[in-house]
Amino acid sequence: MEEKIKILIIEDDLLIVDFLKTGLQYEGYGVTTAGRGKEGLEILKNNIFQLLILDVMLPDTDGFVLCRQLREKGMALPILMLTIRNEVSDRIKGLDSGADDYLTKPFVFDELLARIRALLRRQGKTSVSRELVAGDILLNTETREVLNNGNLIDLTPTEFALLVLFIQHPHRVFTRETLLNRVLGYDYEGSSNIIDVHVNHLRKKLSDGATRLIRTVYGVGYAFYPREND
Amino acid sequence: MINLNGKYSLKTRLGLLYALLLIVSVGMMGYFSYWNIWQLFTKNEISHLRAVAKPVISQWIKTEQPVNATDSSFVNFTAQKALKLAYQLTSRHAVAVVFNGSGKILADGKQLPEEPSAPHPNAAMIKKSLSGHNEVTYWAMVNKKPVLVVLIPLRPNPKSHRVFGVVQISTPFSGMKHILYHYGIMQWIAVVLIVILGVLFGFRFIGWSLKDLNRLTIACGEIAKGDFTQRASMINRKDEIGQLAVSFNVMVDKLEGVFLSQKHFVANAAHELLTPLTGLRGSLEVLLRGGSDDPEVQNRMTKAMYKEVNHLIRVCNRLLGLSRLENAPHIIKQPIVLSNFFPAFQKQAHYLMQNHPLVIDKGPFVTVMTDRDLLEQILFNLLSNAIRHSPVNKPVTIGWKLLSQFVEIHVSDEGEGMEKEIRDHAFEPFFSSQSRFSAEKGTGLGLTLTKLMTEAQGGTIRLESSPGKGTTVFFTLPF
Repeated sequence: MEEKIKILIIEDDLLIVDFLKTGLQYEGYGVTTAGRGKEGLEILKNNIFQLLILDVMLPDTDGFVLCRQLREKGMALPILMLTIRNEVSDRIKGLDSGADDYLTKPFVFDELLARIRALLRRQGKTSVSRELVAGDILLNTETREVLNNGNLIDLTPTEFALLVLFIQHPHRVFTRETLLNRVLGYDYEGSSNIIDVHVNHLRKKLSDGATRLIRTVYGVGYAFYPREND
Repeated sequence: MINLNGKYSLKTRLGLLYALLLIVSVGMMGYFSYWNIWQLFTKNEISHLRAVAKPVISQWIKTEQPVNATDSSFVNFTAQKALKLAYQLTSRHAVAVVFNGSGKILADGKQLPEEPSAPHPNAAMIKKSLSGHNEVTYWAMVNKKPVLVVLIPLRPNPKSHRVFGVVQISTPFSGMKHILYHYGIMQWIAVVLIVILGVLFGFRFIGWSLKDLNRLTIACGEIAKGDFTQRASMINRKDEIGQLAVSFNVMVDKLEGVFLSQKHFVANAAHELLTPLTGLRGSLEVLLRGGSDDPEVQNRMTKAMYKEVNHLIRVCNRLLGLSRLENAPHIIKQPIVLSNFFPAFQKQAHYLMQNHPLVIDKGPFVTVMTDRDLLEQILFNLLSNAIRHSPVNKPVTIGWKLLSQFVEIHVSDEGEGMEKEIRDHAFEPFFSSQSRFSAEKGTGLGLTLTKLMTEAQGGTIRLESSPGKGTTVFFTLPF
């Protein structure tokens, strides 16, 4: 099992801290939080993080000031700043003080994730791989080609999105509602039974008979178990 | 009187007034100068005629009159004698006609065609002259040309009162008139030139004087568009426009201050709303993308969101309260006896106070004029601040005392107190401090609202605080 990527969040709003921590943990990151600048500095002194998410308005200090302090101490970890103000001058100030990226509240969680991925990629912490491999399945997120045992198979966008989600989160049990939200969008208003239809189509196309790649967890939803390569 | 006010621009009005005054004064000067010249010429001509005639007439009387003649001499004033006189007085310049004592023509001096013709005798003037007037002169027309006529009464000797005849000497005035005519035209041209130049320069001058007013107008337009950096630059002028510029700048400074604080307020309000909304949206997204699969996460996040929504509602209510107080405060003042009010209030505040004892430190018997609802809201706000920043079981004390014109009420806690930098900004909107004793977020508007409510009733508010010892808020109410 590879080491988790560790992220520190310095933010004072409890609700924001909670959803960031929960959401990022679901994505597989190791998350530590601090409500004050001083507290954050202490944690940074004794631990190694791969990324810092920093709120601009903290009760005890200014995010810009904190950012500059960190850079002066020679800390090179990527810093993503969060702020309400969306003035160009503020963005410039943020980037000048040493931040690597800048996100304005309220933001979409998926965008935050994308920016975190981009920052980590730039640091060389993750590869730029567009290819996902799970057992016999080879999937390219850019060309949207899927090879099963070397045979090209044709998937609808929904089936493709389902497969990507499954491959990215092996063994995790998804409820039908979660799959519906993540594959068809948060504002899709249909019944979650539609997921059963898509999963069945996907199983057929993957020739997933007795191998049970996508397993039904009764009363809950589905989970993906990739075939271990010998 | 025509009312020009407001119909035309100030420049036009001043310019018209100036042109009118210029025309009247220059015109009057021209007219008087012309009239003077005319008078001078006429008088000069008359005295010339008389001066020439006087020796001739004296000589003629001496010759024609017998020696030692009495007043009754010249009874037989014959045409022959008259003709002699008339001839002697007639020249190319003037013609003389002689009348006898009853006004009949005795002789006309004109002999040669180049000599001017005499006008028709004017009976009334001749009668006037016969009655002894020495200075009869008048204008007459000969062939439609003006002729100056001078009548000289004939007396046996200069001191005599008897007039036996009249000599009429007339001289054409057309030459004079010609000169005067040219003079008049020249004068007219001068007047017109002066007026035109005067008006031109006048308009320029007025325009120049009023230019700064135009600049002010342009600055006003820019300010109306929202550019509050505009200022009047002519503050060094010593005139009314300079004074206007100074007042203008003071006004714009104040406007800019109000505008900026409004802008900051709106920005802060948006910030205050966006932060909880960020939390809400993020939490919803995390729940939707799988967080709800875990009942523990679902429960925790839902509760946190519920709290956040309540906080949002509190912020919105306070904002509404602020806007209501700023726009249309509805205040009904009534006399309230504080010693009766507080025991009742203590019961109402029981639920709010939870584990903090509320102590009423009774002050003097006094009646204040105040709005009961506002007073209760002020106290509730201060009490909730006090308990939010105090450890459990620490009492909160309310008391009052008399000042010269006000009653001062104080709310004291024994809580964490404030540092100076927080104390200095405590009444500013959206300035909120995290409490050590309560997880609930402040709205940042409580003290701002309380301040406005106090001021709406004519009172003031201040606070004293020291870290670790507690905070006391004082507010005044009028009697």
